[in-house]
Amino acid sequence: MPITEDPEGHEISALAAAVSFAGRRVLEIGCGEGRLTARYAPAAAAVLAIDPDADAIAHLAAERMPHVDARVLGVEQLDDPSLHADIVLFAWSL
Amino acid sequence: MVDALRRAHRIATPDGIVVDLHPSPSAAVVEAGAIATGVVDSPDGQSRHAAADAAIAAVVAEGLFTIERSGAFAFCTYADTIEELRDYVEAHWRDARIDDATVIRTREAARDTPGARPRSRERVVMHVLRPRQP
Repeated sequence: MPITEDPEGHEISALAAAVSFAGRRVLEIGCGEGRLTARYAPAAAAVLAIDPDADAIAHLAAERMPHVDARVLGVEQLDDPSLHADIVLFAWSL
Repeated sequence: MVDALRRAHRIATPDGIVVDLHPSPSAAVVEAGAIATGVVDSPDGQSRHAAADAAIAAVVAEGLFTIERSGAFAFCTYADTIEELRDYVEAHWRDARIDDATVIRTREAARDTPGARPRSRERVVMHVLRPRQP
């Protein structure tokens, strides 16, 4: 059996108890390979998932999740003044 | 970190929220079954996570956000063997290691607890921040 992270689902349970992703536009900062993204994205209207790690973003992009736009970016590169999100999520990245 | 939170404040819609998840500054515990056998050694990680706490406190004090909700949960990473967990931690966590004494203790504890997969247990804190408008 490979490495398994949070098989109990404590992370998504805590998040779902505090935040509703339904129909929301989400900016996830530090998404990595999308471990958390995969769990909430189906409910969201749109997700911009960013991480400076190109390999991680390639892994996430290969998953072809609907509504998920995965980009190689650091938070310091988010300069587009038209960028707005209902939920800004720092995923272990602060 | 404070700059990242200020940027998040600009990006969040007026009725939006900012959510932060990060490990607490306490060290991750290594376990086999119910037995704690040591910790993941990561002094840099612990100071980084403390800095995240401080950054949130700073932007709240600055008046940019109010804390709407806080909580914590356990996040466990399982492996089939302690050697596999050690290698994973060293490859995927920043500046982190499991020392030889912990490896030995975990191996022994796992042998005494059939079916128990070695794991690390981190305490993760979550804050839901509500941006305050000027």
